[in-house]
Amino acid sequence: MVVHLFGTKTPGNLFTFNCNDGYLEAIVRGFRSGILSASDYNNLVQCDNLEDMKLHLSQTDYGDFLANEAGPIHTTTIQERCTDKLVNEFNNIRNQAVEPLSTFLDYITYGYMIDNIILLITGTLHERDTVELLEKCHPLGTFKSMASLSVANNVSDLYNNVLIDTPLAPYIQGALSEEDLDEMNIEIIRNTLYKAYLEDFYRYCQALGGETETYMCEILAFEADRRAINITINSFGTDLSKDDREKLYPALGHLYPAGSARLAKADDVDQVTRIVSEYGQYRGIFNEVAANQEKSLEDAFYEHEVKLNRTGFDTQFGYALFYSYTKLREQEVRNIVWIAECISQGMKSKVNHYIPIF
Amino acid sequence: MSGKNRINIFPTRMALTMMKSKLKGAVTGHSLLKKKSDALTMRFRSILSKIIENKQLMGTTLREASFSLAAAKYAAGDIAPTVLENVSTASIRTKMVSENVAGVLLPTFTKSNEGTTAAELTGLSRGGQQITKCKNEYQRALEALIELASLQTAFVTLDEVIRVTNRRVNAIEYVVKPRLENTITYVISELDEGEREEFYRLKKVQGKKKKDIARKEADQAAKKALKQVSNAPSVPEKVANLLEEEDEDDLLFKK
Repeated sequence: MVVHLFGTKTPGNLFTFNCNDGYLEAIVRGFRSGILSASDYNNLVQCDNLEDMKLHLSQTDYGDFLANEAGPIHTTTIQERCTDKLVNEFNNIRNQAVEPLSTFLDYITYGYMIDNIILLITGTLHERDTVELLEKCHPLGTFKSMASLSVANNVSDLYNNVLIDTPLAPYIQGALSEEDLDEMNIEIIRNTLYKAYLEDFYRYCQALGGETETYMCEILAFEADRRAINITINSFGTDLSKDDREKLYPALGHLYPAGSARLAKADDVDQVTRIVSEYGQYRGIFNEVAANQEKSLEDAFYEHEVKLNRTGFDTQFGYALFYSYTKLREQEVRNIVWIAECISQGMKSKVNHYIPIF
Repeated sequence: MSGKNRINIFPTRMALTMMKSKLKGAVTGHSLLKKKSDALTMRFRSILSKIIENKQLMGTTLREASFSLAAAKYAAGDIAPTVLENVSTASIRTKMVSENVAGVLLPTFTKSNEGTTAAELTGLSRGGQQITKCKNEYQRALEALIELASLQTAFVTLDEVIRVTNRRVNAIEYVVKPRLENTITYVISELDEGEREEFYRLKKVQGKKKKDIARKEADQAAKKALKQVSNAPSVPEKVANLLEEEDEDDLLFKK
């Protein structure tokens, strides 16, 4: 089980924070200043091909990350190398962290771990070679028992030998049995696990208290609400029943419990809009989407997420900035890949759909 | 004589009728084949113009589809491995149907949906709408591709058949018909020549007969003239007389 070192809000956190975590916070703030700025993005969108982009990126914090790539560069290469840089920085911080920061950083990786595990379960269900799947897993979500994957050839082996050893074991045991892995739709499994993870993370941040609680709980609440809204909207027209849908909503966020109950009964997008617009924070998002045809709901959500994550840096003596940094870097990688795709596919009119971070 | 380009047969009237009927057959065959070739060529041209417009459409749909894939990846992260692992069998297949056009069997491909698409709930918690959009775009691109495939196979088949038909048309027009016509001309000319020879022979025989008659008449006329000059009572010619006895051989009892 995950160990909670602090059972209550810690008094005197302001005094002890810097000795344990000050160095790492400083490093992260240094990384934060290396995040691409508006002028960098301006340069990037004016490139005509990927070679130009490589040139411009080499003048930013990314440096020569593409220097060793042979031949013409492809957008997937850019994505892989950018993600590698993020993973390196994260692991750097993770390896130097002590409790409770190390647990906090572990929590951040659990999200990726869930994706990896889903991939492995799917592959095992269809009897693919699991060792090949290891290469497709997200590097931030690796766990120790991945090496023993080649042993598991069917789902029951996977469940009993591999999954039990991962840090996600409590979520899996709490929500799923072995038969469920076989029968349930894989996306439902994914969302069930993610719900358990979010709730656990939220409890941990509340237990940490202080600045961490203030900012992280806000960010996690938005994540939960966003997932609830997305699940609702995307389940229209599929055979996901309303009860199943309600089981996937995380038990936290502004929409919980009254809004979630109403969302579970909604039948179309207009109803959802009406329900959610009653909550002040989200009214602005839906209005924006209604006003602007080019912007989708996902884009608006990403923007809101970036805004919340930016606030994570506005405070000290809290762990929120580690989480924010990871998420903002991810968004930056998404932006760079989007610009690269637009340039390489010749759709420069859509190139400005990235979300500027700072 | 054009001995090089005709069939060697013995020139009789029977042969002539046979050759004439063969020529008629060749002419009918030629016109039928020409009609077939024209019909096929017309279809060929229409398919060509359809192919051009289809290729352009395919270009734009594929471009939109790959762009929607980029948008889906932006919104939902890298869904490729999950989707790939979830696939068991192809859910969209093509059926081939053969259509008969002027005697040519042209294959046409139609799309058929078999089985369900497994990963319907992909992107449930994020990016679901972009993923659905991407799926639809790719299905449209797939339909354009299937149609293009039908058109192109029809194009290639038609091309082959038109080539063969044209070769046959040209062969009849430039080889078979002249040969038959030359043979017929030859046979006719041989027959004519024979007739002329016959005629000439007849004429010659007639001429000879006339000459004979003329000579005989001339002889008689000369004899008459001689008789008139020596006007003596002449012993009348002894003319045969049944009443006189003559020494005759007995007809019945020969000695």
